[in-house]
Amino acid sequence: MHRGGRGPRGCQQIGGLVNLKGFFVATISSALELGIAVPDDVLRHVTPDVLSMFLPRPLWARVITACLGAPRTDAQVIVETVGVPNLCEHIPASILWACIAEIGQRSLGGVVMAPASAPGSRPVAASRPTPLATPPPPPATEPKPAAQPAALGPSIPAPGSDGDGDPSRTRVPPGQRFRPSTTGIGRLAASGNARRPQAQATPPAPPVSEAGAGRTDTIPRVKRGSSEADFDLETYVGGKDDWKNALAVEDEQLVDWAASDETVTGGDDAGRKR
Amino acid sequence: MSNDQRQAWFARMMESGLENDIFAPSDVLAHATPDVLASHLPPELLSKVLTASLAAGSMTPERVLETVTPELLSKHLPHEVLWQCIAAAAARAGVNKSVGS
Repeated sequence: MHRGGRGPRGCQQIGGLVNLKGFFVATISSALELGIAVPDDVLRHVTPDVLSMFLPRPLWARVITACLGAPRTDAQVIVETVGVPNLCEHIPASILWACIAEIGQRSLGGVVMAPASAPGSRPVAASRPTPLATPPPPPATEPKPAAQPAALGPSIPAPGSDGDGDPSRTRVPPGQRFRPSTTGIGRLAASGNARRPQAQATPPAPPVSEAGAGRTDTIPRVKRGSSEADFDLETYVGGKDDWKNALAVEDEQLVDWAASDETVTGGDDAGRKR
Repeated sequence: MSNDQRQAWFARMMESGLENDIFAPSDVLAHATPDVLASHLPPELLSKVLTASLAAGSMTPERVLETVTPELLSKHLPHEVLWQCIAAAAARAGVNKSVGS
């Protein structure tokens, strides 16, 4: 059995006869310096739970202070703050060896790592995947309008369109786009609207007769459709005897039936028939 | 990771392992066997090893590694061989066990 000439206790006492810690320090430090490993590789094994169990409280205070002062807390800050010698001093050798073994296996396995950056840079940033600031836009599902021919001149909106040609935009009624104005006839002329002004016309006063002069307020109004410019023509027949006054004619308007040739007059029957 | 970086790291590990008695030169030659050395070392380096041994009167692992330094080992030998040496030393040291065991 090979004991390396180090006696019976030799290899069983970790860090005793052999300087395992020195070997770990040199191995991990050189791996970090050479870009073989990144601090994340160390923290993958020397987890915060491991640190909480094995790292002395003064070093924990240093770590907390450094993390509070650093703009970003990452493995680089922790490894640099604690230091590889301190890690190798307090962390169990089996954990450190697991870290070294992973680095070595990866090195031999040809796993492509992030290329080592310039000296003095932080390799941890190169190995950490950078999330996208914004997710990629979803595939367009909206039907696209037909391709417009290339405009050779100024864009003239189609009749009835708002002029912008964008179907996605909500069409706003003109009445809501501008402050409604109830005055100014120019607005009506400029709008091009076929509708006539909706000004409420005062209905003409009904013919006032002497008999019905005092009843105009009691005339029942006929509800009509909203015709714009027509005057409300109303015929009112008042009380029981007022029709006589309404149909009163002058003497000049009367027809002399007796002098008319076309009229056959004869006897009293004719007058009755008529 | 470039080959130069890996080579430098293996050289550093071999050097540290020897310095810290993680493994001895005989442990190295247990993996870097004469066949391995003869197959991978360049002729001039083989000649130098033989010359030094002849001058000293014997060829020992220590004397071989005085000529074939860790840098040259890492440069010419397969890194898998060197890693086997390192891993075997770690296994002997018992560091490849879990924390609780």
